[in-house]
Amino acid sequence: MDWTPAPRRPTAIRREQNLALVSAVVSGGVIAAGLILLLVARVNPETASGVRAVATDIVAPLWSVVRAPIDGAGKVAGDFGDYFGAVSRADQLEAELDKANARLRAARNGQRELQQLKRLMAVREPTRTVVATTRIAAATSGSVARTAMLAVGSGDGITRDMPVIGTEGLVGRTLEVGRQSARVLLLTDPLSRVPVIVERTGQAGLAVGRNLPTLLLTDRIGPELALVVGDRIVTSGDGGVYPPGVPVGVVVDPRADGPVIRLATSPLGGGFVTVESGWLPIPDTQPQGPVFDAPVPVEARTRGAPPPRLRTSEPPAN
Amino acid sequence: MIATPPPPALLMTPDERRRWYLSLWRYAVPALASMALLVLMLAPLPISLPAMPHLALMGVLVWAMLQPGLMPPWLAFCIGMLADLLFGQPLGVNATLFAVATGVMRMTGRVFGRHGSLFDWLLVTSVLLGFALLTGPLMALAGRPTTTLPLLWQWLTSVAAWPLVVRLCAAIQRKLAASAPHWRHG
Repeated sequence: MDWTPAPRRPTAIRREQNLALVSAVVSGGVIAAGLILLLVARVNPETASGVRAVATDIVAPLWSVVRAPIDGAGKVAGDFGDYFGAVSRADQLEAELDKANARLRAARNGQRELQQLKRLMAVREPTRTVVATTRIAAATSGSVARTAMLAVGSGDGITRDMPVIGTEGLVGRTLEVGRQSARVLLLTDPLSRVPVIVERTGQAGLAVGRNLPTLLLTDRIGPELALVVGDRIVTSGDGGVYPPGVPVGVVVDPRADGPVIRLATSPLGGGFVTVESGWLPIPDTQPQGPVFDAPVPVEARTRGAPPPRLRTSEPPAN
Repeated sequence: MIATPPPPALLMTPDERRRWYLSLWRYAVPALASMALLVLMLAPLPISLPAMPHLALMGVLVWAMLQPGLMPPWLAFCIGMLADLLFGQPLGVNATLFAVATGVMRMTGRVFGRHGSLFDWLLVTSVLLGFALLTGPLMALAGRPTTTLPLLWQWLTSVAAWPLVVRLCAAIQRKLAASAPHWRHG
C-alpha cells in the first residue's frame, strides 16, 4: 500500500498524471520487448546461451554447498536405521547372494560363449568412459522446462550431449555447459527424446518426456507387438549419445496408442549420478573440400567472372 | 516504508549524506528478496512434477502490492529474465509474464484501493492461473510448445503457499521500516 500523501496543487496533479503516463508507456515497452525476445528465441534458440551458462555457474555451486549439510544429516539418519535393521538386512542379503551366485554360475557359460563369438566376428565395441561423478546440485521443479544443474562443467571435461546416468537408470543428458556448472535435460522434459528398445521384443522406439512423472513410448518401428505391463525399456544406443542397455523404465500402461513408461530412477532422487562421454564420437560437421566465400553462378563464370575466392582459413584443395 | 524520503540534498549535513548513501540498499530489498526466492525455487527436491510453488512470481506480486513504487514492471521484467536464464526456458517467457502480472497488480490496486487479505488471495489466485495458462502459448511462440496441464500442479501449490510468502515479505518490510533512518529536516 502506498502511503504517499495526496497531491493538492494542480502542478503536482499534472506531474502525477505525466508520471503515470510515462510509467504506462514504459510498461508497454517492456512487455513488447519481452514478446520480441520470444520471437528472437524462436528464430535463434541459442540466444543468450553464454549468459545462461554464467547464471548457472553462479547458482549451481551455491546449491551444491547448501545441500551438503542436508545430505550429511540424511546420511546420519540412514546410518541409525542401518544400525537397528542390520541383522534382518544381513539375513535377507545372504539369501539374495545365494540366488545371485546360482544365476551367475549359469550365466558364466553363456558369457564365455558370447566372448568367443565376438572374437570370431571381430566385433569392435566402443567403451563407456565416466567423465565425472557428482550429485544433482539444483533443479527447476517450478518451471515447464525440466532441467537440473550439476556443479561440474567444462573445467572437469564436460561437454554438450553427454549422457547422465544414475545408479538405477538413465537421468538425461547435458544441454548447456559453463565453466563449473552444467545443465542437464531430464528425461521428463518435453524436449527429451531417447532412442530405446523394448527388452523383451527388441522393438525400437522413442521415449518422449511430457512434463509428467511418466514417459510416452512413441514412434515404434517394426511389427506392432503387444506390450505387457512390466516390459523393461532400455536405451538402444541409436544416435550415439546414450550407451545401449541403460535402463530407462518399465511399461505401466501398454496402450496401443501410446504406452506409458514409469522411470527406472527418479531423476532428482538425490543419489550420485555419473556423466559419461558420448557413446559414439560426434561426427565431424565441418564441411569437407574447398569452401568459397560466396557462390558464383555458372553463367557469370562462363562470361569471364573471376574465379571464386577460397576462404582463407581453408587449405586450397588440389 | 522501507526508507523515509531524505531532506533536500543541499540541506543535508555530511553525516546525513553519508547515512543517506549507506541506506540506499533499502530500495533494492524487494528485488533482492524476489531473487532470493527465485534461487530458493531451484532446490533439488525429488519432485517429478512441476509442483514447486512459483515463489519468485509470488515475491514479485507481494512487493507489487506492498511497495508498488519499488517493484515497477521493468524491474519485474528483469527478475523474470533472470528466472528464464536459471530455468533454461526461452528468454522472455517469464520476463513478459512477470511484467504483465505486475501491471495487473498495479491496476487492481488503483481500481479496488484498500482491501482485505482474503481478497488479495483470490486476486493472486486468478493472476497465478493466468500465468499458468499463458506460459504454454508463450513457449509455443518461442518455438518450444509444451503442455499446460502439469503447470496446474504448480498453480495449486502456489495458491497454498501464498500466505507464507506474504507473511515473509511483510516481516521483511516491517523489519526494514523499524530500522529506517530518521532525518532532522533542518
